[in-house]
Amino acid sequence: MAGRIAQLSLFVVAGLIGVLLVGQLRSQARPIELSNLSPQELSGLVETLQQRNVELTNALAELREQVRDYERAEVQGQSTLELTSEELTRVRAFAGLEPVVGQGIAIRMTGPFDPTAVNDLVHELRNAGAEAIAIDGIRITGRSVAVLGTSAIEIDGRPLDETVEVLAVGYPTGLQSSIERPGGLKTYLEQSLDVTMSIETRRNLRLPATERDLAPTVAEPVE
Amino acid sequence: MSRRLPPKRRFVRPQWAISIGVALAAIGFVGAAQWNSSLARQEFVTSAQRVLIGEAQDLQREQDDLRAQIEEAEDRVRSFQTTSAGSQAQLDQINSDLAEARLESGLVAVRGPGAVVEIADSTRQVPPGESVNNYLVLADDLRDIVTALWASGAEAITISGERLVSTSSIYSAGSAILVNTVPLVPPYRIEAVGPEGLHDRFLSNQAFVGRVGRRIESYGLQFASEPRDDLELPAFVGNTRMRWGAPETAAD
Repeated sequence: MAGRIAQLSLFVVAGLIGVLLVGQLRSQARPIELSNLSPQELSGLVETLQQRNVELTNALAELREQVRDYERAEVQGQSTLELTSEELTRVRAFAGLEPVVGQGIAIRMTGPFDPTAVNDLVHELRNAGAEAIAIDGIRITGRSVAVLGTSAIEIDGRPLDETVEVLAVGYPTGLQSSIERPGGLKTYLEQSLDVTMSIETRRNLRLPATERDLAPTVAEPVE
Repeated sequence: MSRRLPPKRRFVRPQWAISIGVALAAIGFVGAAQWNSSLARQEFVTSAQRVLIGEAQDLQREQDDLRAQIEEAEDRVRSFQTTSAGSQAQLDQINSDLAEARLESGLVAVRGPGAVVEIADSTRQVPPGESVNNYLVLADDLRDIVTALWASGAEAITISGERLVSTSSIYSAGSAILVNTVPLVPPYRIEAVGPEGLHDRFLSNQAFVGRVGRRIESYGLQFASEPRDDLELPAFVGNTRMRWGAPETAAD
């Protein structure tokens, strides 16, 4: 009898420990839990999510318009070739395979910068909503990164000069203020690497297509 | 006549009683820890934060919904693109080019060999006076890992299921890390498809060995990686349309 009670007690106690331990581990896990963010951080997050949702809403509206175009073309017995060709050019531009024109900013960076500084700048511009980026005439694709080559910093196998010009298509004011914000990347690079940066907004940017072959060699599409 | 004393009763402590005693002590400890941590969290959530948290959660739900709708609309567009009243040969060619461009852009799910990397916050006790941020995975750590993987020949990368494309952003909002504006939680799992030797090249790449490699060693960030024979990476879902630019045309 005593043995049964012991077993039962152990069972109940082990169960309780299990439940409590899971709870404790969960509560110790690093929270994306929003309650751990400060009001300023939360405001920043809300602002970012709002901006991105507006972009997604616009993209959805354009996609629906595209669906309507195809539907109209079908009703009118027209070919969908033209519409699909436009889509092809758009997707290729997104990948960096087509030249792009538009407004945005031009950054001139001089000094002893390293590959990390160049990569951080690209990330900063993407965070600020850049739609296309080129550095010294080299179009930045999803796979482009700055590395230390044999004699210079290289991107996609092409060397950079000691002074580089970075062009970014996007909302000009937003891009500029993101780079120039107090304590932002410009301040950091100027103070830590003795880099000089000048930024100006431009209305007529032209970014070339990448010269890199983006066709994968081992990645296969999943049907 | 001497009275025989009853034999002295040996005090026997049953084994199960000891186990239960230890277990109850553990429950007490864990329960107290939970109680304390939940109290601490509640204390610091102000009403302003509560409003903002609600707003952020609503926006995240809205984003999930928008991404699902975009995926659905893209499926519809693709179904139109495979049928045409015009020349079938021309359409086949354009669709083949489009499929290639979508593959090169990250808009198609892919599979292949590669490497898996996992990184999570340190479990070390933060010494007094030191910044807790040193012991957490930062956006820079993920950027460095991704940079090292691209530089090592990766052809496709995801961070916790978010496919990286030409406009992908990785950034911090407080202690949260957002990739493609999706808030992610640790451990962060980075999967990369790429040619043979990707994993070894990654581990010796300067972008990895430099900043993030040092942080792993210095602060005990949890890290693991291994090569894989077969990985499947999802497609990017999100905005691919330009608002401030456009493909160059002959008129430009």
